Amino acid sequence: MPEAQYDDGRAIAPTGGGGAMDLATAEGETLEKAPAAPPGPGPAGRPRSLWSDAWHDLRRNPVFVIASLVILFLVAISIWPQLIASGNPLDCDLAKAQQGSQPGHPFGFDGQGCDVYTRTVYGARTSVTVGVCATLGVALLGSVLGGLAGFFGRAPDALLSRLTDVFFAIPVVLGGLVLLSVVTSNTVWPVIGFMVLLGWPQISRIARGSVISVKQNDYVQAARALGASSARLLLRHVMPNAVAPVIVVATIALGTYISLEATLSYLGVGLRPPTVSWGIDISAASPYIRNAPHMLLWPAGALAVTVLAFIMLGDAVRDALDPKLR
Amino acid sequence: MAEPTRPTEPIIEVRGLYKHYPLTRGVVIRKQVGAVRAVDGVDLDLFAGETLGVVGESGCGKSTLAKLLVNLERPTRGSIRYKGEDITRLSARALKAVRRNIQMVFQDPYTSLNPRMTVGDIVGEPYEIHPEAAPKGDRRRRVRELLDVVGLDPEYVNRYPHQFSGGQRQRIGIARGLALRPEVIVADEPVSALDVSVQAQVVNLLERLQGEFGLSYVFIAHDLSIVRHISDRVAVMYLGRIVETGRDAEIYDHPTHPYTQALLSAVPVPDPSVRERRAAAGGNGGRIILSGDVPSPTNVPSGCRFRTRCWKAQERCAREEPELAVPERFREAVGPARHDSACHFAEERCVVPSD
Amino acid sequence: MSPDTPPDGPGTRERAPGIPPAGPGTLLEVRDLRVEFRTRDGVAKAVDGVSWSVAAGETLAVLGESGSGKSVTAQAVMGILDTPPGRITGGEILFRGRDLLKLKEGERRRIRGAGMAMVFQDALSSLNPVLTVGDQLGEMFTVHRGMSRKDARAKAVELMDRVRIPAAAERVGQYPHQFSGGMRQRIMIAMALALEPDLIIADEPTTALDVTVQAQVMDLLAELRRELGMGLVLITHDLGVVADVADRIAVMYAGRIVETAPVHDLYKAPAHPYTRGLLDSIPRLDRKGQELYAIKGLPPNLTAVPSGCAFHPRCPMARDVCRTDEPDLSEVSRDRGSACFFWRECLRG
Repeated sequence: MPEAQYDDGRAIAPTGGGGAMDLATAEGETLEKAPAAPPGPGPAGRPRSLWSDAWHDLRRNPVFVIASLVILFLVAISIWPQLIASGNPLDCDLAKAQQGSQPGHPFGFDGQGCDVYTRTVYGARTSVTVGVCATLGVALLGSVLGGLAGFFGRAPDALLSRLTDVFFAIPVVLGGLVLLSVVTSNTVWPVIGFMVLLGWPQISRIARGSVISVKQNDYVQAARALGASSARLLLRHVMPNAVAPVIVVATIALGTYISLEATLSYLGVGLRPPTVSWGIDISAASPYIRNAPHMLLWPAGALAVTVLAFIMLGDAVRDALDPKLR
Repeated sequence: MAEPTRPTEPIIEVRGLYKHYPLTRGVVIRKQVGAVRAVDGVDLDLFAGETLGVVGESGCGKSTLAKLLVNLERPTRGSIRYKGEDITRLSARALKAVRRNIQMVFQDPYTSLNPRMTVGDIVGEPYEIHPEAAPKGDRRRRVRELLDVVGLDPEYVNRYPHQFSGGQRQRIGIARGLALRPEVIVADEPVSALDVSVQAQVVNLLERLQGEFGLSYVFIAHDLSIVRHISDRVAVMYLGRIVETGRDAEIYDHPTHPYTQALLSAVPVPDPSVRERRAAAGGNGGRIILSGDVPSPTNVPSGCRFRTRCWKAQERCAREEPELAVPERFREAVGPARHDSACHFAEERCVVPSD
Repeated sequence: MSPDTPPDGPGTRERAPGIPPAGPGTLLEVRDLRVEFRTRDGVAKAVDGVSWSVAAGETLAVLGESGSGKSVTAQAVMGILDTPPGRITGGEILFRGRDLLKLKEGERRRIRGAGMAMVFQDALSSLNPVLTVGDQLGEMFTVHRGMSRKDARAKAVELMDRVRIPAAAERVGQYPHQFSGGMRQRIMIAMALALEPDLIIADEPTTALDVTVQAQVMDLLAELRRELGMGLVLITHDLGVVADVADRIAVMYAGRIVETAPVHDLYKAPAHPYTRGLLDSIPRLDRKGQELYAIKGLPPNLTAVPSGCAFHPRCPMARDVCRTDEPDLSEVSRDRGSACFFWRECLRG
């Protein structure tokens, strides 16, 4: 719009930290040079987006870096446990049952006389797979359904709300006993499927509530007044602003899924030996916590570190996606 | 402000506009138990290049009217014609084309900008939605130009809204509204959330842009002084209806509807000597203090809707709804008192204290 | 004593210029109050050496924009400041001669309510939605005065009558949401009046209300002040409201008082360029100008207040000295002060 040009100056003022100061124009748009260069994002050379800014931010966040390294390490040993454990997790000697740390076996032995270190390393694969896949499934299904219901309202919303009520009424353990007892396969997938089935309503409720509160904001109305499509409103305006509580709840739930796998395995409907998982080992060790705490300590510690790493990752991502916290 | 030359055809023509929100009870079986009559029969015209001020108290339906005008709400009844075409009955595609020409500036600069988008993305979004409005390579240049036009530093394109103050954010909102070069801008209380010293800046900006871009404004506000400052014509709303409308001098200096008179006289005047003069005049000294509050729009009084708070109300007011037209006693008159006023007992009364 | 010499007899303290001396009628005196907030961007001096006083039967308006420190001052006086992040770093708040900041919390609570009370901007969120209006008003009497529930109820009706709520006896059992905005603000005022305080602090009491209702509520406050001989401190940003009811005005900018004056003098001839700018930028009902006067720029960020006079970047009169030296409140006349080096020039217009 070249005809909109005007020859008088514009005002520039610094924006100190988070507070804002105007470059406001007044009285014929007087030019006011800033005494200091504006801090924060550098010159406006290259257009930036929320995602590129978030990534720029994350790379400099020690919390994110540490959490990512821990998670990368976990993923690596899930794929190649032999990298750091030379033994066989199923190679057990009852004579050594419950024995403590000794050379070559730093974590000691469990109730069956298996090496705790090897089992903890090998258990990562099952536990991390269950935790990550169940969380991803729950978060995706829950936020898509909840987000759509919250955004469109009316009949889909009413239907979804009743449906989640029904799922909330199913007791998790009892549901697991019934549903998983018919499954014969001894892989993680039926367990993950069961967790997604029972877990999505929790996320969907949160996503729905969050979307409803976000969609009332004027910026969504403003985009609508510009003629934006529903997909654009949802993906560009509503979801990025509604996703924070979903990330928080999902990363916390990740730990619950890993322990739920243990509970189900303990009840005999989850995974069975020879599958190795932290859950199985934790439940097997829990009766002996007084006389042989090391049997519980190591797999439980590994679980705690894993959960913590994911929660830290979730927190860092959430903060990076909030420009106000930069 | 120069007298705008008035073409015969209004750019926007609103006729018999109603927006009722149903009140329902029950979860499974919904039963309508009433309706919020937010906009309840509004007629208005907006001519090219002029500013129409719409004033009223909260709950009078002025914000709903704004949303209807920019098609964020569909009316229950009535028509909104933009250059002769009824925009309430358009297909999605045709509507999108109309939206290019009617844009909105929102009240709250803190909720009207997406906190997770950069200023460049916010101001550039209109071009993404309407790719035909600007070739792709040209968009960034245009965004920077727009920021410059509203008095912001174009170097700020990569910043986020929270890094700006209320006044600056409102400028960003105005830049977004201007991006598609609309003909009409509907501004819903654009300065009421701003500090006094910043309000004047934004009002001046809006006035300057009107001249530069040849815009027509519908300026909605509760602040009568700001409306007078910017408007060529004024419409006063009460409970979903326009009760009086006319040129600014007609409304402010020669109001004939009792509600307008009360509204004008209640505006605090920034001059303490007016207080003494009022006190000396005894009682309220020309100030009309209405009793009670605005009735609920779910339960609109019969006849004239202002009668429950009106000191002139008589039996006829409860029976007969006054029409928005030049009142009988002024029909023969020549002068500023001759304008539309929906009152059976309209009479002139000077309520604005002058120095 | 000649009228020009201030009555600096024995026992009178040194007073801030332009602030009338604390006399026997003085209810509340704020002296050199300082409040800081810790924020992500550093320490914000929300209130930076503010002094004012209010006498019985007097209305003082504290005028300022958002971030000027006017509401923080009120919160500090009432003892409802959130600490942290806020912190009172200096000054005195003398209520009838006693420094509130040195009192124990229990004593302070007694003064709150019976000595002074506050009316807030948002009446809806200040009332408990699950209790009836009668219960909330009556609570003041059962808790503070040990009255029976029945007597408290009668008192509640009496109070509602006093703030001119029609059909008070019938409405005393209703819940806050059943009242309109104006009526709710009356209930808040009734609550403030309950224990017959000597002083009411009203923080933007009419900002959330419509123009026609605003006038009703302001009139009610003015009338009650006359009837009960209370002091009234009105915290507001609205120059129109101030002109309607205030006796004296203290204008705040960036945590300091920049001008204090009797209301007539201030409107007739402001002695600070900020006040002048505010007055000039009001659109007037009776005047339709070409362009509104606008103060350039924006109120400063409190974590980075400009050097010298905080207003200098926006001031049309600013000179070099304004950038380097901070002006104190200097005495314009006996009851008037201005924190501008060039107040004489400003007065001349």
